[in-house]
Amino acid sequence: MSWLPRHGRVAAWRVWLAKSLSARIVLLFLGLLLAVQAASFVAIRATIDRNARAAIGADLEVGERVLRHVLEQNARQLTEGATLLAADYGFRSAVASRDAATISSVLANHGERIGAGVAALLDTDFQLRASARTDAASLQPVLAHLSSHAGNAKHAGEVMMVDDKAFQFVLVPLRAPVLVGWVLMGFPVDQPLLDQMRSLSPLHVSLETRRNAQSPWKTTASTLPRESRKALEHQNTIAGDSSLALALPDGEYSARGVSLTLEPDGPAVSALLMRSVDEAVAPYRQLQFGLAALTLLSVMVFGLGSVLTARHVTTPLRKLAVAAERLGAGDYATPLGGQRRTDEIGDLAQSFEHMRVSVAVQQEEILKLAYWDGLTGLPNRVQFRNAVLEAIAIGKADHRSVAVIMLDLDRFKHVNDVLGYRFGDLMLKGVGERLSQQTVRNGDLVARLGGDEFAVLLADIDPASDLSHTGSLAQRLHQAFSDVMVLEDHTVDMSASFGMAVFPHHARDVDTLLNHAEVAMYGAKRRGEGPMLYDPSIDAASSQTLSLLSELRHALDHHELRLYLQPKLALESTRLVGAEALLRWQHPVRGLLPPMEFIPFAEQTGFIRMLTMWVFEEAARMWRVLNEGGVRIVVSVNLSTRDLMDVELPQKFEALLIKHIVPAEAFCLEITESAIMDDPQRALATLERLSGLGFRLSIDDFGTGYSSLAYLKRLPVDELKIDKSFVLNMAKDTDDARIVRSTIDLAHGLGLTVVAEGVENAQVWDLLRDLSCDEAQGFHMSRPIPAHEFAHWSSGWAARHSALGAKGLVNVNVTLH
Amino acid sequence: MRSHLAAFALFSAVACANAASLTVTVVDDAGKPLPDAVVMLEPTSGKLSVKPMAQVDIGQSKRQFTPRVTVVTVGTPVNFPNFDTVRHHVYSFSPIKPFELKLYAGVPNAPIVFDKPGTAVLGCNIHDKMAAWVVVVDTPHHARTAVGGQVRLDSVPAGSYRLRAWHAGVPAGKEPAAETLTVAGSDMSAQIKLPAGLL
Repeated sequence: MSWLPRHGRVAAWRVWLAKSLSARIVLLFLGLLLAVQAASFVAIRATIDRNARAAIGADLEVGERVLRHVLEQNARQLTEGATLLAADYGFRSAVASRDAATISSVLANHGERIGAGVAALLDTDFQLRASARTDAASLQPVLAHLSSHAGNAKHAGEVMMVDDKAFQFVLVPLRAPVLVGWVLMGFPVDQPLLDQMRSLSPLHVSLETRRNAQSPWKTTASTLPRESRKALEHQNTIAGDSSLALALPDGEYSARGVSLTLEPDGPAVSALLMRSVDEAVAPYRQLQFGLAALTLLSVMVFGLGSVLTARHVTTPLRKLAVAAERLGAGDYATPLGGQRRTDEIGDLAQSFEHMRVSVAVQQEEILKLAYWDGLTGLPNRVQFRNAVLEAIAIGKADHRSVAVIMLDLDRFKHVNDVLGYRFGDLMLKGVGERLSQQTVRNGDLVARLGGDEFAVLLADIDPASDLSHTGSLAQRLHQAFSDVMVLEDHTVDMSASFGMAVFPHHARDVDTLLNHAEVAMYGAKRRGEGPMLYDPSIDAASSQTLSLLSELRHALDHHELRLYLQPKLALESTRLVGAEALLRWQHPVRGLLPPMEFIPFAEQTGFIRMLTMWVFEEAARMWRVLNEGGVRIVVSVNLSTRDLMDVELPQKFEALLIKHIVPAEAFCLEITESAIMDDPQRALATLERLSGLGFRLSIDDFGTGYSSLAYLKRLPVDELKIDKSFVLNMAKDTDDARIVRSTIDLAHGLGLTVVAEGVENAQVWDLLRDLSCDEAQGFHMSRPIPAHEFAHWSSGWAARHSALGAKGLVNVNVTLH
Repeated sequence: MRSHLAAFALFSAVACANAASLTVTVVDDAGKPLPDAVVMLEPTSGKLSVKPMAQVDIGQSKRQFTPRVTVVTVGTPVNFPNFDTVRHHVYSFSPIKPFELKLYAGVPNAPIVFDKPGTAVLGCNIHDKMAAWVVVVDTPHHARTAVGGQVRLDSVPAGSYRLRAWHAGVPAGKEPAAETLTVAGSDMSAQIKLPAGLL
């Protein structure tokens, strides 16, 4: 990272910190610890400093007391020694003898015995009578001092200078038995005393002397190392000051001067007590080192602890993140792990695991929905297509053939209509089983493509016999369908149309292969025979169909559609009462096309709804034109299943009525029974709303369906239209005539208007009129005529009719033909 | 210490034919009577004949010399009977009579004869606190003051005398000069002031 600019490094560090939870935890813990340690370190350091200074001060004070005590002790010892001497009979004898030499030698002897540097005998007036080691002159200042204080007990042990040396003097009376003189003993204050001090305390001691107030201090003895002692001599500071700081070669010292002499101006002796600051602070330093070590240790322990804690937290999180990524990548099979923990992370892992399981279940469900048919448990179209795709890829590589057999049940819609959907479903399941039983070859695949359409994939076929193999299997399947199927006490006679297409003969890709198989299947259905192999000749027709949709769209946009009206006439009065709106297509190439050419296709594709709308609007427009021209009729418009399923249909119609200012009563909407039966609930809802709007409703092609009377009664219909198949032959076929009669009676019984269509001759007209049928429609009166000619026809009819009356209808009919 | 001699004599009007008595009061600086002081009267010229006194005892009882001050004439033998159960070692380093009676109990074999005038300080080598004074005089006119600090010298023939007083508390060399007085047959009295410190 060194190549990064500084702010880049900082940014990278920040990013790392922001990304790493553990780093933040560790950093926080260590930061807090260091802050606490630093605070206590500062506090301890301050305390140590204070303590050390106080301790040094105390040491020095104690040192002074020790020094004084030592001196007192010495004085006492000295006094004792001197007292012993003074009490010695021999000494007293010697003194009494006044023999100076003897006295001197006794003094020397006793002085030596107790380590006195000076021993002298004074008379009662403190005049020197005899002395050992010292001459009278040297002692003179001492004697003068003593005489002035006259042996005051307070001054026992006083330190005085003799020949520039410090002595501690004691004076004891000599009695025999009355006071006859004084014994003076001087104890040298020098190195041994300092050494004694040094051994009793941690202090260094220097002895400083000066002759008078003006002369400089001189170091006469010291426990300091040689160099420091020399340095001290040069410093020449000392000694009256109670405390001072000294910087000596072997370290810093705090010092305290202790004056040993009483007189301020005379020769002075002072002890300089010195405490090494380093030594005094050393134990505290050790404490500080200990603390520092402790801090270091705790930082390490804390660091380790927080790293472990952070790991404990973040490792499972990281694992979960990895596991979640695995989930994201689509692996729902591997358990996530980490649920054994009982803490929040464990809960999180648990939640993740729940999520994984439910997502896996959902995934499976989705896959099932996506690739499997729920009803039969067979693969669906998507999976089938994938399988074909794969088979073709392998076939291409290995030069093998792939065949698709597609089949479609015949008359399945009728089964559904008659026996119900549940039964239809059972049948589809049965078909699936039957197909699966017949295709035992490994790699063959049976699928339900949708509705009553099934397909079989034959992969990896020998190219030499591909067509014959496919044909024989299709034949076998076809045979299998010839056996009746028994379902819940019903025996169903089944048949299916089979179409085949084989790669590489009929197609090079999956969609073409499937398409060609379908084309062949429709071909087989049309021909009504056994399985049909795809042939390009049948494809021409099918491509025609396929292009129909776009052509229809084109037709709608380019005004190629034409509205035709076929009149509906009242049988009793022969009056024009209505017209059925019909659709024709003025095809630019193929000429005028009848509805059969495109309506079924439009119904299949749902385009029928556009056509219905177009017809309704044209009819509304035309009604207005006719109405204004004095032609008062009800226009019938056909609705398909898909129209009924459109919940917005009533609003759309209403909008058009408003647009063209036409009342709903001007329309009769014709619906076939089967259109209602596809989804009776929804159809009924739509019908009720339409009826509510004021539309008349009519059941078209009545008699071909299976609607029950009870059901019929519930429909909000106004009219029944008898299917023309009954009407056409009623003149010759008595059965048909009976059906027509009973239908009319039935309808009238329910309070419905009855319309007969397919009236092609006067005989039927008369029959119907005799049966009290209400209205008739058919070629006998008029073929469907272009809407714009309807007004003209209407006036013609009215003219003829008023002239000829009801009887003349036959003749008119004749003329029309 | 400044020596202050203040001795004066009061002469009474009482006359006596040839001999008279002299009453002397010894006081300290503060005027307090001093007991155990020795007063002696010596003729200014010549010498009076003096006889040694009969044996004098200075006993040791309860670790004290008793009496502490004894006045004897020259040549008087002094005995040192020990009445204590412990032994004593009586000594004197005084020039008039240095002697030593080494540890003894009871009465020593021989008395000590003080044959020179002056003062001898006696001590006991065993017991430092013991001290006694033997004032050896060369005159028959001497006496030791009692508690009242007064003595009376009787039968002092008329004549010129030096009156002296001694006391143990007076440091050596601090003795006042002798007072000269004349006895003229009548009784007299005198007072001597001594700079006596504590013993």
